[in-house]
Amino acid sequence: MDFSGLINDFGPLTVTGLAQGAIIALFALGYTLVYGVLRLINFAHSEVFLLGTYACLIVWGWFGLDQNSAPPSVGGMLLYMAVGLLAAILVSGLAALTVEVIAYRPLRRRNAPPLAFLITAIGASLFISELVGVATHRNQKGVPPIILAKPVVTIGDTTITNLQILIIVLALVMMFALDRFINGSRLGRGIRAVAQNPDSAALMGVNKSRVIALVFLLGGLMAGIAAVMYDLKIGVTRYDAGFLLGIDAFTAAVLGGIGNLRGALLGGLLLGVLQNYAAGLFGSQWLHAASFVLLVVILLFRPTGLLGESLGRARA
Amino acid sequence: MLLEIDNVTLAYGRIQALHGISLNVGEGEVVALIGANGAGKSTTMRAVSGLRPVSQGTIRFDGEDITKMRADLRVVRGVSQSPEGRGIFPGMTVRENLEMGAYTRRNRAEIDEDLNRAFTLFPRLKEREKQAGGTLSGGEQQMLAVGRALMSRPKLLLLDEPSMGLAPMLIQQIFDIIVEINQQGTTVLLVEQNAQQALSRAHRAYVLETGRIVKEGTGAELLNDPAVKDAYLGVA
Repeated sequence: MDFSGLINDFGPLTVTGLAQGAIIALFALGYTLVYGVLRLINFAHSEVFLLGTYACLIVWGWFGLDQNSAPPSVGGMLLYMAVGLLAAILVSGLAALTVEVIAYRPLRRRNAPPLAFLITAIGASLFISELVGVATHRNQKGVPPIILAKPVVTIGDTTITNLQILIIVLALVMMFALDRFINGSRLGRGIRAVAQNPDSAALMGVNKSRVIALVFLLGGLMAGIAAVMYDLKIGVTRYDAGFLLGIDAFTAAVLGGIGNLRGALLGGLLLGVLQNYAAGLFGSQWLHAASFVLLVVILLFRPTGLLGESLGRARA
Repeated sequence: MLLEIDNVTLAYGRIQALHGISLNVGEGEVVALIGANGAGKSTTMRAVSGLRPVSQGTIRFDGEDITKMRADLRVVRGVSQSPEGRGIFPGMTVRENLEMGAYTRRNRAEIDEDLNRAFTLFPRLKEREKQAGGTLSGGEQQMLAVGRALMSRPKLLLLDEPSMGLAPMLIQQIFDIIVEINQQGTTVLLVEQNAQQALSRAHRAYVLETGRIVKEGTGAELLNDPAVKDAYLGVA
């Protein structure tokens, strides 16, 4: 154990962890939203994210950008960010919607048992990830330097980069917007109604299929944003990128209380930070092991996660 | 006729719950369904509101065949149900629950008017306005379910056991409110265990036994029917 490593690098580890956690939190929203409404873990959500990491790269490729390109001007950076985000959001959103319509909706129509949904989810996840694997010959793909990470704030010996600030701020803004939408709008109220009592929601005139589609779409949009941030932060993507980070995102959702939006944010940030502390303490090879020890310990004391279920809450 | 149920059968898996039920509800009527537990009263209600698909037969509402229509679209046509077990949204406030009842409507001024009407009918709900639905007592949840069902301005109000879990004084009150709602122009189809109250307040009633209609008549006729008295009114 390297306590001095943790203590010396406490600031930088915290900042890196927060940025990593912000990406995990955005990713986790898709799991938590779908679970809140359907009591279904949509394992294919990791591939919804994966497709987003490729969508922006493809669009940047149309502009002639690759990993060896020179960094763009400020105007170029804004343009590329805008089109990259748009592409990832569209592709991830549509992918999530497609999985729902093709894979899950027919099962619901036949009143399939929960196990059928679980197997379908795993199958859809593997199918998409393998499809990407075959199409890319399982090679990783580098990300063009749209935003070069530059330290912009220094507090003591901790520097914070422009990219870290962008990731954290964007995640917080998106979380806030989603929270306002779910709790403040008519459609959001429809989502909560289906989550709390699907039959009663139908009796109020809520179209359940439309609400479910909307929930998949929202989760996909957030995953698309997370995907672009991931590309910029990590610098490469690969056919199994969704699987690895997806486990973290799913863990974060459970940690915060699955079905609870604010729980996803808290779980994501906490997981990101603690993973980095664990890496500082034990070495980075322990990063993932640490997150599961944490999960098990927290669930022992709070089985419904830190904030419990709120979108769903107990059904009447 | 506002509602015509013609020879409807319905099964839960292999268990046949309704064996060819036919009944009518005319505009402006209060019609009661009475019968023992498991007779098929709530199942009939679910068939009308669309929560359960029927196996055979037809349901017509306001002249339109709604047998295969989705439940949420029936709400738009003017069918509203206060379900068995109340179906409150536990994580929403009383006000939000009531607003959910007006989900299909857009006119804010009219919705506010109806909110006020619900609060006037049930002053208790006004006191609990900002409280979560799940924290209300059984009786309060019942009022909320009825109030919420009214928020869609239905032509036909389906009430499943509105007196369930209420204190005797509140039972009187809720039936007074049902009559008042009816006099304001809403047609009511009512399922009740409390046959005495239901028959004395309803224009007409049907008696269900094991998924079949065995008797029908005006409320007064059935109140005086020896067999009904014996089976459902607790007097010989």
